[in-house]
Amino acid sequence: MSTFSLTTHFIRREIGNRYLGSFSGGLWALLQPLLQLAVYGFVWTYVFGMRVPGGPEAPGIVAFLAMGVWPWNAFAEAITRATTSIQDNSALIGKIALPRQILVFSSVASSFLLHGIGFCAIVIVLAISGTPIHWLGVPLALAAFAQLFVLALGFAFLFAAVQVFVRDLVQTLTQLMPLWMFAGPVLYPREFLPEQYRGWLDFNPFTFYPEFLRAQVLGYGNVSISAALISALLAFALFAVGYGVFRRLSAHFEDFL
Amino acid sequence: MSEVLVQARGLGKSYPQVFRPRDRLRALGRLLAGVRDVDAVAVLHDVDLDVCRGESLGLIGENGAGKSTLLKLLTGVLTPSAGSVRTHGRVGALLELGAGFHPDYSGRDNIAMSAALYGLSAAEMRERLADIIAFADIGRYVDEPVKHYSSGMVVRLGFAIVAALKPDLLITDEVLAVGDESFQKKCVRWMEQYLSDGGTLILVSHSMYHVQKLCRHACWLRQGGVAAYGDVFDVTQAYLAYHERKTAASSPQREQVASQGLEFHLVDLSLNELSQDTPVLVEHGGRLRVLVRAHSRDGRVPVIVFGIARADGTPVYGFSTEMDGVAPLADGPHDFVAEVEFPELSLLPGSYNVKAHPLDSEGVRLFDTIERPLTVRGQSREFGVVRLAHTWRTVAGAADPLKRAIGI
Repeated sequence: MSTFSLTTHFIRREIGNRYLGSFSGGLWALLQPLLQLAVYGFVWTYVFGMRVPGGPEAPGIVAFLAMGVWPWNAFAEAITRATTSIQDNSALIGKIALPRQILVFSSVASSFLLHGIGFCAIVIVLAISGTPIHWLGVPLALAAFAQLFVLALGFAFLFAAVQVFVRDLVQTLTQLMPLWMFAGPVLYPREFLPEQYRGWLDFNPFTFYPEFLRAQVLGYGNVSISAALISALLAFALFAVGYGVFRRLSAHFEDFL
Repeated sequence: MSEVLVQARGLGKSYPQVFRPRDRLRALGRLLAGVRDVDAVAVLHDVDLDVCRGESLGLIGENGAGKSTLLKLLTGVLTPSAGSVRTHGRVGALLELGAGFHPDYSGRDNIAMSAALYGLSAAEMRERLADIIAFADIGRYVDEPVKHYSSGMVVRLGFAIVAALKPDLLITDEVLAVGDESFQKKCVRWMEQYLSDGGTLILVSHSMYHVQKLCRHACWLRQGGVAAYGDVFDVTQAYLAYHERKTAASSPQREQVASQGLEFHLVDLSLNELSQDTPVLVEHGGRLRVLVRAHSRDGRVPVIVFGIARADGTPVYGFSTEMDGVAPLADGPHDFVAEVEFPELSLLPGSYNVKAHPLDSEGVRLFDTIERPLTVRGQSREFGVVRLAHTWRTVAGAADPLKRAIGI
């Protein structure tokens, strides 16, 4: 009970901290990906003259991009923010006895909470603007978000623990994040790659999520059962490894902060 | 034997030596591989500690002796490198100024956060919020960000939260010293009430007065180990005596006063044959002998003044050889001795200073001062400074069988 109330406190504070002193408050969390979407949509449609392959059945470029941008933003932001969550709270860790996992967890949870809400909002907006939405797929899409949350937690625990010892990690990470995004089908469909390289995308643990969301919510493309199983297994395995490393190192954090 | 709230066995803490970024990487590798770090500096070693419910323990020691590290280990902020520590019940800790406060949030928000950190539910917190704000007594500042607070206000807020927590065990570091006089008194009063209600306290302080006032046991840490552990008076006296020896070389000696060539100066002042700058212990109602040795440059007989004041400076009683119509005894051509005895010391338990001064033969000019601290110990529920002789005249209420038996 007390851990739960402590976690909700930290999540509230985490969200509050981001928008403390900004006029738009939490609204910014919803606006920022919308603007991002508008920019990508504009560049893709009018600059590159690109269309989503698949003929008249294919979804519009905006709907296609939305299914990639929101999960990626949640994932990338959760990981980069959580990586410094222990370091940023060093003042707290050296003075108050608290379960350190909470700090990482609330950092990841707040990112997913904000972008999860944003995702639901964009699906509704898309539906209103005439995009055919497969409503039965939406709960499955949210379940995929939950699985992505587990995967992000795994990375977050691992990186947050290592960051305490090796401070260069977060800099490296912010440089690598765009690369990671372009190494997955976030802003483009798999079909854009030359035939022989398409399989390589499967090595990216993030690849599953935009493809799954597009298949479930937009009915675009399909994802095999085995791919879903592998991604679930991978998410939980990474969580186990990340949490294990975190547990092993957490007793020594205060010596290195 | 009552319930043990804190139990530490062979407790030790060492910090890794990290100078270069490369060391951090190596430390990470070692920790992941489960290898103990060899080049670590021990700041605390082999501490055994048992604190039972209702006990009050004072932790004393020089700067860097490991007091704060020990407290952090007991509260679980630090993880021990060796040994184990177990605590039971709700622990309220006041370790550092504003620990756990976020500077950008208002006092009210920080109260909520701290309450959650201490494991209070939202409902419990709402119940106690008014009490906390009343105890902190910082007025409109409670709605302002903590970064605008003075350090005293931060301590007020921190203490108010801990007080509202009603912890089983209260652990507090030297933070109270930041509060102003009235708030310190409020805190000490609260702690005394807390202790008499059966609370348990671990206090770190450099004020032996506070330690002796609030604690029954004391633990003296020296260079990371326990130097002495036991009754508060024994341990604090040993600690003060240690400081005395340490600073003896640098402190001004009586000889320096002698070399100034004053007409009169004091050579020594002893309480119960003890001439020391650490408190002499006397039981309430016990015997106190004060002996002063004075030097007269011209061999004239000095007037000796004795005075007793409370530790805070309030004068209690003063008198001189001249008032009582006696003269100090000559002990050689230039030395004089005056000794006075209080057969049943009527001072109530507390800390006092005994002072002596030599005056010229006419009792006009005052030349020198020596002070000796005195601690009166005893069980007394009377108020004030001294016991005044008194007799009850209203016998109607005196249904005391003893008094009837002796025919009063």
